[in-house]
Amino acid sequence: MASRKVVLNLYRDLLKESKKWASYNYREYALRKIRHEFRQNKALEDSTKINDFYNKGLESLEMLKRQVLIGNLYKTDKLVIEMQNK
Amino acid sequence: MASSIRTIRLLSRSTGFFRNSSCCLASTRLANVSEFNQRFLHTIKRTSLPALTQNNTDQQVKRVRHYSEKPPLTVKFITDRVLLVLKLYDKIDAEKLTLDSHFMNDLGLDSLDHVEVIMAMEDEFGFEIPDMDAERLVTPAAIARYVADKEDIYE
Repeated sequence: MASRKVVLNLYRDLLKESKKWASYNYREYALRKIRHEFRQNKALEDSTKINDFYNKGLESLEMLKRQVLIGNLYKTDKLVIEMQNK
Repeated sequence: MASSIRTIRLLSRSTGFFRNSSCCLASTRLANVSEFNQRFLHTIKRTSLPALTQNNTDQQVKRVRHYSEKPPLTVKFITDRVLLVLKLYDKIDAEKLTLDSHFMNDLGLDSLDHVEVIMAMEDEFGFEIPDMDAERLVTPAAIARYVADKEDIYE
């Protein structure tokens, strides 16, 4: 059973990992998607469903780590929108 | 001697095997320390011209080390930074925000938002906050005190 603490930890890890992404589009998409999915399922009570989603989250975390690494090997210049803040 | 160096160079160019040994020879030619220093200074001069032009007479390079120095923190400054970060977080109503307002009870954040607030604080102050401590940090005042303790700042 994935407890509240464990789920919050996963949320944190996912966000942290996605912030490492160099590509603006993928990064923002990942952050948006993670926030959306967690918020959508935050009222879930059924423990089997929670476990399913938790496992899905773990898989996504692995995928994110892999893709961030690969993505950063082939990164391109920053977009114009990113320049304005600096 | 000179001819032997030349042959070694030729060999090293074709094989690559002798590359290390020819490097050694090249450095022994620089054994004269003062000559080496002059060359060294020359390269520095080329790369950092403005620093040396003021001090051209004695060819001494003065090094100033800052060791990642940062402005001194005070409790007030930390508190202001904590409040600023919170104000910029879009789900917090800046008018309701006070030092002692509880994130969940007063400001209406949920635990997911709390995780994000803690992450924003980590980014702001540049160190990791472990989960054990993060649970206790439910007011801006608590965060400011925690950061001050971490940075060894006391009133």
